Order: sequence, then C-alpha cells, then structure tokens
Amino acid sequence: MEAQDSLSHSAGSAIQGSGWQKRTQIDGSELLGALRAASANLEANIAAVNALNVFPVPDGDTGTNMSLTLRAALDEAGAEPSNSVSELGRAISHGALMGARGNSGVILSQILRGFARGLDAQDTMDTHDLVTALQEGAATAYKGVMKPVEGTILTVVREAAQAAEQAAEAEGDLLQVLEYTVLAARESVKRTPQLLQVLADAGVVDAGGRGLECILEGMLRYAQGVPIELVAGEEGEALTHVNPVDEQFNYDTQFIILGPGLDVMSIRDRIAQMGDSVLVVGDPETVKVHVHSDNPGEALDYGISQGHVTNIIVENMQLQSEAFVAATARPAEAVPPAALTARTEALSEVGVVAVVSGDGLQKVFESLGVSAVVAGGQTMNPSTQDLLEAVDSLPNEQVIILPNNSNIVLAANQAQELADKIVAAVPTKTVPQGIAALLAFSYQGDLEANHVSMAAACQQVETLEVTQAVRDAQVNGLDIAQGQFIGLLNGDLVTVDAGVEAVIRNLLDSIDMDDVEIVTIYHGADANEDQASQIGELIEGSHPEVEVEVIDGGQAHYFYIISAE
Amino acid sequence: MSDTASSLGAIQVSPRAIATIASEAVLSCYGVVGMSAATLKDDIAEILNVENVHRGVEVETVDEMIVVDLYVVIEYGTRISEVAHNVMQSVKFAVERALSMQVAEVNVHVQGLRISNDD
Repeated sequence: MEAQDSLSHSAGSAIQGSGWQKRTQIDGSELLGALRAASANLEANIAAVNALNVFPVPDGDTGTNMSLTLRAALDEAGAEPSNSVSELGRAISHGALMGARGNSGVILSQILRGFARGLDAQDTMDTHDLVTALQEGAATAYKGVMKPVEGTILTVVREAAQAAEQAAEAEGDLLQVLEYTVLAARESVKRTPQLLQVLADAGVVDAGGRGLECILEGMLRYAQGVPIELVAGEEGEALTHVNPVDEQFNYDTQFIILGPGLDVMSIRDRIAQMGDSVLVVGDPETVKVHVHSDNPGEALDYGISQGHVTNIIVENMQLQSEAFVAATARPAEAVPPAALTARTEALSEVGVVAVVSGDGLQKVFESLGVSAVVAGGQTMNPSTQDLLEAVDSLPNEQVIILPNNSNIVLAANQAQELADKIVAAVPTKTVPQGIAALLAFSYQGDLEANHVSMAAACQQVETLEVTQAVRDAQVNGLDIAQGQFIGLLNGDLVTVDAGVEAVIRNLLDSIDMDDVEIVTIYHGADANEDQASQIGELIEGSHPEVEVEVIDGGQAHYFYIISAE
Repeated sequence: MSDTASSLGAIQVSPRAIATIASEAVLSCYGVVGMSAATLKDDIAEILNVENVHRGVEVETVDEMIVVDLYVVIEYGTRISEVAHNVMQSVKFAVERALSMQVAEVNVHVQGLRISNDD
C-alpha cells in the first residue's frame, strides 16, 4: 500500500504526463513527475521483469527489487518536494541508498546516485545536464563492481547515456534526447543475450537491463504527455500474471520510413492515434516508427504514403506472450536428459513431482494428478538439480517428490533440503510404490498429512520387476548368466530363469497372494503386448479372486513391472 | 575435508576448493570491490590480488555443514548491509549448487571501504 501513498500526489489513478516537446529545460517538480512515471511503468512490468530471471539465481526478483528501491527513493523525495533538481537529486540518491534491495537494487541506487551527482549545483535540468547525469550514473554504476559483466544493466545504462549524448550534440530538445535514450536502451537490452551466454542459454534478455528500460520508458512517456496507469501491484506477483499493459494490442509493428522531407512531429501524431507504446524518432531523411496496435496494415499504409518503407517487422505479441509463459513454465527443456513436463494449474496447495521412465508410465502418473514428471529411472538418474528445477517450475509452494527408484531416493532427499520451497520426499523405491503413494495423495490435505499417508501407502504394495541380466553374476546365492531373465521382489533379486513366465511365476509364489486383490502389469518398451496379456490371463487363471490389469508402461530396461496390492 | 558418501565411494572437497567457489561468487556481487586477508596488517585492509582472493575466505565444516567466513572490501556509498546480504545469498547458492552440501553459515566481515568518487 505504500506504493499508492508515495504516488498519491497525482490525481486519480493515472500520472498525467507533461509534454516536453520543444522544451530545453525543466525544474525539480517536473523531474520528480518523470521519475514517478518511471516508477509506475516499472511497477506495471514487475512480473514481466521478474520472469526474465535466469533460472535459477539467488536474486530471483529483479523487478520487485528495483521497484522497491525506486519507490524508497521517491518516498524520500516526496517528503520534501523541491523545485531544484540538485536538491531533488540528493533526496533521490539518499532514499535509493537506504532503500536498496537485492543486487539489482544496489546497482540502481548507484545509478541514481551518479545521476544526482550529475545534477549537482543545478536548479534546472537542460539537455546537457540530462546527458551528464546519465553519464555519471553509468560511470558510478561501473565503479561499484570488481569485474563488470557486459550484457547486464551496466551495458544498458552506458549505451543509453552514449545515445543521449549523441542526441544532445544534434541539438535535440529534452523529448528527443529521451527518445533516443529509450530507443538505445531497448536495443541494448535486445543485445544482452549476445554478450552474456547464460542469457542466450536461457532464451531471455537481462532482467536488470529490462528494468532500467522500463524506468527510462516511463520517463519518456511522461515527457510525451502520455498518462501512465497506476497498477495496484502486489509485491512479487506470480509468473502466471505476466500481463504487461501493452498487450491490450495484438501486434508490435516496426518499420523505417526513408525521406526526404519527412515531418517527424506529424508522423508521430498520426501514429499515436493508432495504438500505444508509440515511438517515432528520426530526422527528415529517416524516421523509425514503433507502435503496438491491432492493425499493422494501417500504420504501414500510412508509412508508405509518407515515403519509402523498409525494415518492416510485425510481431504477434499475444502469441509471443503465451509462448513466453509456456516457456518459462517449462524451464528444463534445455536440460537433458531429464525432459520435464509441468502443468501450471494448481489444483492443490501441494504439488507432486515424480521421476518416471517411459511414455505409458508418464501417462499413468499424469492421469493420477502428478504436477510434473522428470524423466529418469534405473540407468538414467536425474540430478538433484533436475528435481529442484521441476519443483521450482510448479506454482505450488509445497511439493512432494516421488523418486520411484532406490538410486534416486538420495537425490530426492537432497532436493528436499536444498529447495527454497517446502519439499518432502517420499522414499518410493519402485514405480508401483510411487503409484500407490500417489493414489493416497489428498488434494485437500496439507504437505505433512500427505507425506505421512503416502509413505504409509507405498509400504502396502509389493513390487515385482523382471529384467534381463547384462552380464554373468552371482547374487544372493543365485548363478546368473548374461541374457537370462531375473526377477526382483521389492528391489531384491530373488529368482532367475531363461523364460519370462517362469520368473513371474516364481515371483508370485514368493508373495502371499491371499492378501492381494489387484495385480497391475506394466509392460516395458522391450516387452511384447501379447505376452503381457498371456501373463495376465495366467495370473487370473491361477488366482481367480484377483483382478488383473495390463498397461503399456513403455519403461526402459524392465520388461515387466508388476504391482500387487 | 567435506565428505559426501555415495554407493561408489566417498567424495572429498578441500576447504581451498570451497574457498575458490565462494570467492568467485563474492566477486560477482555488485558493491564488493575486493577481498582482504582475514588478519589485518597495521589495521589496514589491503585488497588482495585475484590470485590470492582465497586468502579472504575461511572455510570450516562442522557436522557436515559448511561455515564460510568472508573478508571483503565494499564500495563506499553503497548500502553495506544490503551488499553483505547479497553476498551471503550468492555464496550460499553457489557453494550448495556446486557441492550439493548444505551451507550452515556465511559470515561477512567488512574489512574496509573503498572511496572511488571524489565527493
């Protein structure tokens, strides 16, 4: 709610911009207005900026941190408003310093500190002062780190300041200088993945740089006289709320008009009627146009009427936005071997991550309501990191992990300890145990109750597994030759034979079938379905009271996984 | 030595290796301009060369948990508490990610401030 208080000087629910066209200097109150607009614009984009974080990082909420820092600066400046830009700068600088949050917030506070120093001893700010302030901001930001990394907010502030200087040298007014600055910041943000490999790998632009772009863009909107809607943004909005204000329009249209004799102001006025996020910059020879609208054709037709149109880019933002949400909800796509499928809707407060091998088994787990599946099994053990990524991909704050293999139980336990979320690993050592545990899961229950009931449930099932020996061995007093079929009861090797049926019969003999009501046979990728049905009939024949189900599990290595419960 | 048992044998990680991971994480933190030796000569915090930064890190393992002490120099004019907090988070994250071992404590000792602006 503090957010609203700090901005409550403006009437209604929007900050009304003040036009800076043809203006060469402004005073402190107008600069404060521009910074308030910057804060509002950043706030409107918090979720989008947060969602850009390279996954996983400790400073996981860049947008929130930058926004809180800027808000603290504005609170201090608003307490004693001044018409002098240098006094305003001091208040902003001090407020940002005291309110800095997170790595990105500290950097922003240094940028604002440098910005303020650039305005030292000035009562008003002209284009030259704005350039000096931006340059000081960039220089101060670079001094605060031992090894400056390019492709971050540092690069963006430096390149934005350079563009401002060029625009000022061309004797632009304050509005034009800001337009060039924002354009350069936007281009710079787009280039960050080329400079920083982790961004390219994650398929995102730098979050801090994007945050700074939002700040500069907010100032520009104020200078253009465009009102900025205030959003009642809660701290740390969930990813599912990615919904930047721009996306009321479907298409992002960009093109360049080649002159001669172009009238930048009249082109801007006309384009501004077509949509929002309007940016029209240039000179009589070349004008760059950028607009978000529902009809790209209208803008293009108009452009063609003014001169030659080139470098046309039209993007469907609605689809991009959906693709982005989908991509961020499935961050492990780039992490082989654990292919991950996450379902974003939260049915329960508690999510379940299961490790499963095989398409059929994956479907079984999904049909039972598992939230995310990590591919893995006997010879393909997912790492703790793979599990953590699956946990983090869920909207749930509480997550249960089903490792479903004795080799993965350790990794699951480690994930339980390392996760930021509240995680409980149920030590399921086999797939049937995992299914039994999942059947005991209650959507109404909390994490602890589910953990207890699932751990108990997985003890109630007998797991019979049939696989083929990969080499000669002697285990538990049994001589095994390569290629023979071996049977495991709850993970222990108990029988060996040249034929599959004999192994299964021996396995069934070793458990007390009187207690068994249901037998489920999951046949693997290497088994054939007819044989599976025959085995099912065999069991039904010898144990008529038992219900038998045969399911295509598709798992690797294990010909059959059989649960008896 | 920090041990992790697995079915194939034990993995041992020396404190020096952990110190290297920690110092890399520290130096990527905004606001930290250098590391300094744990014991100060003449009460002056000298910034260590890149090859020596591990001397600004002390690593102990207590009951399989890692305790890291960091001796840093921070840029004057930043919010020191926040920078230190960021350092704690980054180091805990980096060490745990690399080693899959729990970090119990990260203690940040601010040995000095560097003033690089003339205001």
